[in-house]
Amino acid sequence: MATPMRRTLLALHRATCENLKNAEASLDVRHPLPFVIPVRTKKRYFIPPVAGIKQKTQGDQEAKARAAGIVFRQQYIERPVNIACSAGIFDPYIPPEGDARLSTLSKEGLKQRTEQVRQSAASQLAIRKIKEHDPHFTTKEFPEQAQEIFIEAHNALTQFNKEKLHSLVTERCYPEMTRGNRYKTIRWRFIESLEPPKVVHARCPDMVSKGNLYGQVTLRMHSRQTLAVYDRFGRLMLGNEEVQKDVLEYLVLERHLVNPYGRWRLHGKIMPAWAPAKDPVIKTVVIPGPELKPGEEFEALNYEVPKPKAVQWNK
Amino acid sequence: MATTVTGPGFLRILTGQLHSRLLAFGGGPQSLSCFHTSTPLEVNKNWDRRNFKLYPPQSPDEPRRPAEVHHCRRQIKYSKDKMWYLAKMIRGMSIDQAIAQLEFNDKKGAKIMKDVLLEAQEIAVRNHNVEYKSNLYIAESFSSKGKYLKRIRYHGRGMFGIMDKVYCHYFVKLVEGPPPQVEPRTSLDQAKEYVQNLKNRTIIHSL
Repeated sequence: MATPMRRTLLALHRATCENLKNAEASLDVRHPLPFVIPVRTKKRYFIPPVAGIKQKTQGDQEAKARAAGIVFRQQYIERPVNIACSAGIFDPYIPPEGDARLSTLSKEGLKQRTEQVRQSAASQLAIRKIKEHDPHFTTKEFPEQAQEIFIEAHNALTQFNKEKLHSLVTERCYPEMTRGNRYKTIRWRFIESLEPPKVVHARCPDMVSKGNLYGQVTLRMHSRQTLAVYDRFGRLMLGNEEVQKDVLEYLVLERHLVNPYGRWRLHGKIMPAWAPAKDPVIKTVVIPGPELKPGEEFEALNYEVPKPKAVQWNK
Repeated sequence: MATTVTGPGFLRILTGQLHSRLLAFGGGPQSLSCFHTSTPLEVNKNWDRRNFKLYPPQSPDEPRRPAEVHHCRRQIKYSKDKMWYLAKMIRGMSIDQAIAQLEFNDKKGAKIMKDVLLEAQEIAVRNHNVEYKSNLYIAESFSSKGKYLKRIRYHGRGMFGIMDKVYCHYFVKLVEGPPPQVEPRTSLDQAKEYVQNLKNRTIIHSL
């Protein structure tokens, strides 16, 4: 058994060598291959220091350069930064209490309406300044545009279209809208507008340097919307898709007036102090309370759960 | 048993196969073979990526999908084999039971594992909308090898050995809900199953 095996192996070896030569020859003739240069791709963990440089410290090198007469220009470690939106809402609008609760036909309602129509002087000045820079701005047409921006921005939020959202919403508002929402599904629908939107407030602050104007306009919107937020696993977290809610909102839109390519973008929302509490989350949440010692009971402590103060805050 | 093939005929078949294989391998001996055989330099982050999987919203009539949280700790200074014993112990337990067992275990890895479980519980409640922090059980728990450091262990007569400073990774997956009930299988059950498997055998291709 051994000798026949060895003979076959030898013959195999000879045959493969012949075949190799044949392969070479045949391949050269038919397809001339490009010569592949091997490249070193292994990472060098130890790179030896360059032999021959004298021990030079940073100070010595600088002294030598100065002696030789080489002058370096002063290096400013600066970068130009474009601020396209202001940091907050300047001089926020304080919505009157009981707004949208009284009907327009009653006497109190009419008084509120007349008050609202004749705006404060500052707002009128601001609107005039905005009209200087943006000739197309009118208090009659702007609310409709603003409502469209609002609806498009929220639709982009449901689809999470980052580029479109950045063009419709300022950089200050973007993280507030999208924080924690990346791994959640939001279903939002704008059904109808109950009252036509109105401009209620305007201000023209300037940031950093005088003349760098930003225009902020507050809009009052009364509309019907549905909202449902689902968490990462598709379970309902907040709201309901069928239930329609009447929403009274005070939106703030901003534009960098000095920039000719500036656009009116959603900058924030104003939550009045008298706003009703929002619906609770569909989840039991632990409110942090006092530390109990081993023998104590919670009921015996008479601990009052602190309620949040009703303060107006800007969102 | 052995097929009777003539010597040269056998060789011709073999050489034919070799020739075709050589040609297929990258065009002959001139070019270099380019197989990727090195280990990856970066750590595999697939376990963390499983936390970012987004499911579509469920309709109200579907059963509620249980929340899953994946957590891990890398490069723990402990042996992966010793860690395995602890990981096997807590598989299938509820999170409270697991934390209690690890707290009173004397091994070094038990303290680390308890920290990891508490972290994972915290993350589940804060980020993944888990309602009750006790309503979690350990679905998967295992350990794997981390990147070892190599040192020299000196022996007598100028001999040396390469000593590995061992590190391990520990992975855990928590799922919302009560822990699944495992039916205890007695030896009698196993024996019955064995006999049943023997009885189920059939003879194929018979008359």
